Amino acid sequence: MDLRYTPAQQAFRSEARAWLSDNVPATPLPSFDTAEGFEAHRAWERILYDGRWSAVSWPEEFGGRGAGYIEWLIFEEEYWRSGAPGRVNQNGIFLLGPTIMEVGTDEQKARFLPTMASSEIVWAQAWSEPDAGSDMAAIRATATLDGDHWVLNGSKIWASRGAFADWCFGMFRSDPDAERHRGLTFVLCPLDSPGVTVRPISQLDGEPGFAEIFFDDVRVPVDCTLGEVGGGWKVAMATAGFERGVSLRSPARFTAAANRLVGLWRLHADPTDTALSDAVTDLWIRAQGYQLHTYRTVTDIIDGKPIGAEASLNKVFWSELDLEVHELAMRILGSSAELTAGDGSAAWIKGFLFSLSGPIYAGTNEIQRNIVADRVLNLPRGS
Amino acid sequence: MRFAFTDDHKLFADGLTDLLNDQCPPSAVRQVWDDHTGHAPELWNRLADLGLFSLLVDTDAGGMGGGMVDAVLLFERLGAAAVPGPVIEQMVVVAPALAGTDRSHAAMDGSLVGTATADAAAPVPHARCAQVVVTADGVLGGYTATAVDSLDGGRLLATLSGGSLTDAGPSALDAAAMADRMALAVAAQLVGISAAMIDLAAEYARQRHQFGKPIGTFQAVKHLMADALAAAEFAKAPLWQAAWSLDNDLPTAPADVSAARVLANTAAQRAARSALQVHGAIGYTWECDLHLWMKKVWALQAAWGDTNWHRRRVSRYLLGTGGGVPGPALADDTTTMPGLAQAR
Repeated sequence: MDLRYTPAQQAFRSEARAWLSDNVPATPLPSFDTAEGFEAHRAWERILYDGRWSAVSWPEEFGGRGAGYIEWLIFEEEYWRSGAPGRVNQNGIFLLGPTIMEVGTDEQKARFLPTMASSEIVWAQAWSEPDAGSDMAAIRATATLDGDHWVLNGSKIWASRGAFADWCFGMFRSDPDAERHRGLTFVLCPLDSPGVTVRPISQLDGEPGFAEIFFDDVRVPVDCTLGEVGGGWKVAMATAGFERGVSLRSPARFTAAANRLVGLWRLHADPTDTALSDAVTDLWIRAQGYQLHTYRTVTDIIDGKPIGAEASLNKVFWSELDLEVHELAMRILGSSAELTAGDGSAAWIKGFLFSLSGPIYAGTNEIQRNIVADRVLNLPRGS
Repeated sequence: MRFAFTDDHKLFADGLTDLLNDQCPPSAVRQVWDDHTGHAPELWNRLADLGLFSLLVDTDAGGMGGGMVDAVLLFERLGAAAVPGPVIEQMVVVAPALAGTDRSHAAMDGSLVGTATADAAAPVPHARCAQVVVTADGVLGGYTATAVDSLDGGRLLATLSGGSLTDAGPSALDAAAMADRMALAVAAQLVGISAAMIDLAAEYARQRHQFGKPIGTFQAVKHLMADALAAAEFAKAPLWQAAWSLDNDLPTAPADVSAARVLANTAAQRAARSALQVHGAIGYTWECDLHLWMKKVWALQAAWGDTNWHRRRVSRYLLGTGGGVPGPALADDTTTMPGLAQAR
């Protein structure tokens, strides 16, 4: 055990910190869930890409730095510490990208990864359907083979970034006779294809952060199939593993949020209110705990141990931690917590509304607890 | 940067678990409770043979020169077996405090049994089975120990009277280090105890049938167990990091220990409650083994600082609250794990 960074890792941190200090926009960008903000974030991603910071852990040939996991964590720490914009293409870079690297063909890697790293193409995820939410194996949207094309029909909903994204990825039922998680195929689809209709859906904050996507005889070449035909579930599980595991929510976000909470407490809280200082401290300890846990997990990954169902444990932990951090911030803000404009409270309220989605998306926390109970604790499956 | 134990660490821990499975099943713990000694001499000697009591003693005093990173998994395993007697006190305080004295070897080979306390005026755990008590002032011997009724039959309390200080014991500075090391060792025990209770409850949930199926199939039970596991699992990395902090004398080490302790105390309380709830009425009986672990959880909650004390100590470092001694001024240190240094 050695919890010191190597000189090379320290140099990497210094380089990232210096670059971010020079390049992070001085004023926050408009929300990426508006048309204007989306393009501003795409432009920011391009700046990141040109500095080769958009996908640090990817191989150099696809626009990354070939950085190791520890370096990736260091970059994330510096990124969120610097107050840099949210990652508009995270569905691509952190979810789909690693999945393409794992199961994609060489042709697919060359075709999709560089434009993903540069955010020339921004990706939306299209997992849920109106009748397939937590029960993802209930998917009904179909993919029917017609020559060298898939013909897609049906609808996907709660597609994050769907309102403005360029492409989407999702699962379609390619074998109409197969049930549940069999007979599903993972397909990548341009959102400007004829037959695609995107209906933006306003989220709790009033902005169209997700969308419903309708597919009406949409033709997609079969070379947009990721993984094997009928093997979509396995591909999706790999993606979900990354998402719940370490990639989607790197611990740096939560330590940055907990540190901001400490700053808010310094500005606004009564220091003699020990109930409040105790609560701030408890949350800071938990954020720190998540970060340390991730260093431990990443060391295991470096040693070749796969991330298993323990990833579900992470998802429950970070999402509820994030929510509680923001709830406490709202408590500290007191009567100004309902002001949605201005320097003080607006960012916290936006963060609070977003944090409420954490226990729901990427598989509800109830589903995650089932997974932990079944696969980590080996409790007998339900019905 | 490498956050993992070595194969040697794991081998040592697994060797200890093998020994404990054999020598310290719940029936053996019950025997200690029943005979009111709070001590298992035969097990004690086997643990001494394994080298536990010399692990943390400097090599120039004949010990193994190990640190808290080398010991922390062992504390967990000792907790998981609900090991009775002052095993952890002997490892962490007694043998290192007597190192280099004429009782050095007796402490390491276990022929001398000792315990430790931060407050000799309060009831002291394990004082009746011990010949010496290490306090902040020195090593106390020849005392009279009067039993006080207490919760955990593997950790009997007694009040001290008389006796005299022999060896100098820890200096003032070392007394603080002793307290931090014991607080960490208790945290590790609690993490181990939590894991054992979760295993016990999961096994029960697989076996026990109601409404025609195992109760582990019910989501209410699954979620109770998953939450207990999450708390216990996320207490581990901070625990191990705090051990490393202590070994490397980081200025944040006391706060790191306290953060680990807050998580361990909380996780163990939750695991105890959840395990009891999953067991239902049988868990509420003396005959069910669960209480051997639960009572250790409750007894250890305040040992070497309770949750509130440790939380407030982190607050002092983090927020500068409490009117106590503020934590050391920290530069924006980027050489080790991010933490308090970056929160300031």
